[in-house]
Amino acid sequence: MLELEKEVNGVVITFFSTASAVGKTLISCNMASELARQGKSVCLVDYDLQFGDVCNYLQLLPKNTIADVQRGFTLQGDTCHVEEYLTPYEYHGVLFYVMAAPKKLEEAYNIKADYAIKAIRQLRQKFDYVIVDTTSMFSVLNLELLDMSTIVTFLGIVDFIPTIKNMKIGSNTLNELNYDKQKLRLVLNRSNAKTHISLDDVETLLGERFYHILPNDFRAASQSIKDGIPLVLKQEHTELGEALRDLVMRYTNQGVQEFEDEYPEEVKESWLSRIFS
Amino acid sequence: MYRVMLVERNRLMLEKLTQVVQGTNGFELVARYQSVSDALGQGTIFNPNLILLDIEEQNSVALIADFLKVYPKASILCMGEKWKAESASHIVQAGARGYIIKPFTGVELQEAVDTFLKLGTEAGCETLVFFSPKGKSGKTTLIANLATALARKTHEQVGIIDADLQFGDMSVFFNLAPKTTIVEAARDVKFLSPVTLHPYFMPVMQNVSVLCGTATPNLIDKVSIRRFESIISMSRSLFRYLLIDVPPGFNPTSIAAAEQSSTTFLVSMINDAYEIDHMKRALEIFQDWEDYQERVKAIFTRVEPCNSQSQQELARKLGYPVTAIIPNEYSIVSDAADNGKMATDIRPDSPLAQSVDRLADEITGRGHRIRWSVS
Repeated sequence: MLELEKEVNGVVITFFSTASAVGKTLISCNMASELARQGKSVCLVDYDLQFGDVCNYLQLLPKNTIADVQRGFTLQGDTCHVEEYLTPYEYHGVLFYVMAAPKKLEEAYNIKADYAIKAIRQLRQKFDYVIVDTTSMFSVLNLELLDMSTIVTFLGIVDFIPTIKNMKIGSNTLNELNYDKQKLRLVLNRSNAKTHISLDDVETLLGERFYHILPNDFRAASQSIKDGIPLVLKQEHTELGEALRDLVMRYTNQGVQEFEDEYPEEVKESWLSRIFS
Repeated sequence: MYRVMLVERNRLMLEKLTQVVQGTNGFELVARYQSVSDALGQGTIFNPNLILLDIEEQNSVALIADFLKVYPKASILCMGEKWKAESASHIVQAGARGYIIKPFTGVELQEAVDTFLKLGTEAGCETLVFFSPKGKSGKTTLIANLATALARKTHEQVGIIDADLQFGDMSVFFNLAPKTTIVEAARDVKFLSPVTLHPYFMPVMQNVSVLCGTATPNLIDKVSIRRFESIISMSRSLFRYLLIDVPPGFNPTSIAAAEQSSTTFLVSMINDAYEIDHMKRALEIFQDWEDYQERVKAIFTRVEPCNSQSQQELARKLGYPVTAIIPNEYSIVSDAADNGKMATDIRPDSPLAQSVDRLADEITGRGHRIRWSVS
């Protein structure tokens, strides 16, 4: 970060979806890794509090978790420093930090949204990027997270109608929250999965084009989970790893120039859907 | 033909109900009393087979016991001014068949009789809750198919409550555009009884009906936990099997449903990741139940190969018996769901249907019996 007099808040990127098992954790781990590889200071936060997989995917055994942060806040108030509760992830000189989900389910159940948000507020002052993994529901915590995020990645897959229905419900609800178009990014994972539902139909239904499309590479994904090494940090190149790198490049405005007229239909569709809703 | 004996202290109410019974096809009023002592001592000579018994402000359990002694072959429907879950379960335990709110119409009387007398002699309901640690467990598919299998095998009433309140998919699976959902049921539940709750369920095939989930996620606030619990306890008198789909993870909804369950199934999809660890952690929570080994069952979906070896291997990894494994039939399931034909498109001879059938046998207690019939 530049040396500035004023306090500076880093970028908060939240991964959200309304369908489960769409790859939020895998993609957020890779985004954290890639940003760290580029020399940014990064903290990855696991707010899938009950069954979070960040520490599983990275094979970390955290000493402290958000549950300890909450205890810290309740006992010490504002003198509690969240960065003392993080777990480092290191691979071949790439380093970032992880705020782990609670170890015990009863701890997870009792995490208060207020404290969880407070922790992010502290973290964004210490890190260039705070990447947040979430659960697939509109909870109090998730809604507050979405509000405070710089970028919300709304992740989807196209497999069968119930999933599409839930994406539509999710995108409608997000639209009701009236976020800036720039803030909300629709990303499709596993685009080549076998399904007879066409991408165009989904985009028409959602009234929006996908910002980025990630290829289906189940084998590479599950191998990286087994190894505990994010795809973007691996020696060998994979299509999915490359697509994840591209996504990070676009998020950080490197290389790719965005064109204003890239989404002409988007405006039309949402204008129409507003009339007909 | 029902030979009805009416027992109602209030003279005006007795008159009102008399007219309803007399005006309803299939019902013959054979006796009516304001006094319980008269009914017990005199009614036998008219040989009623259906007793409509006022239980307001009385010790209903003792009263039912008396009537059962005198009229062992008759069915008793208790009448009250409003539905109370505890008293309803008490009266059923005491031997009554059900509960109806007075005054009632002829249609309601007919429905009450259909509902309660159809439940058969094995009164009581198996409440089956399907819990998953994370989403995408395959449990909605499982519930839809299990409900149809249970109805087909037992010819009994099967109900589904879609309480996955934000993203329930049951209405898509069955192609329903419900006018009433769990939201309306929760709104009205204070004024409902089982008989008047029944129409909130949408029929999907013979003996199977569904109470659909919320249409949009923000409606979740309209379904308070207390009302949700009332819906469950009321539904218990409507169905022999009640299957409840709950949101993933531990939350007030999934916990409330599990607490009311006869069996809670923990369901996870095999995905080559950490699903077994998640199941283990979830199981630990349920170990607080004294009878958790009988009451909590593990199921894995998308198991390949779907054979007993896999089942044993999963049980070993989990450190807990695995009650059922369901094969991966992605294309069949997604086609059926896409077309809203979950009730008809899954062929009974498919491996998926066969796995579900075995689970249904397990639930109905037929798993260990020898089948004598050839068909």
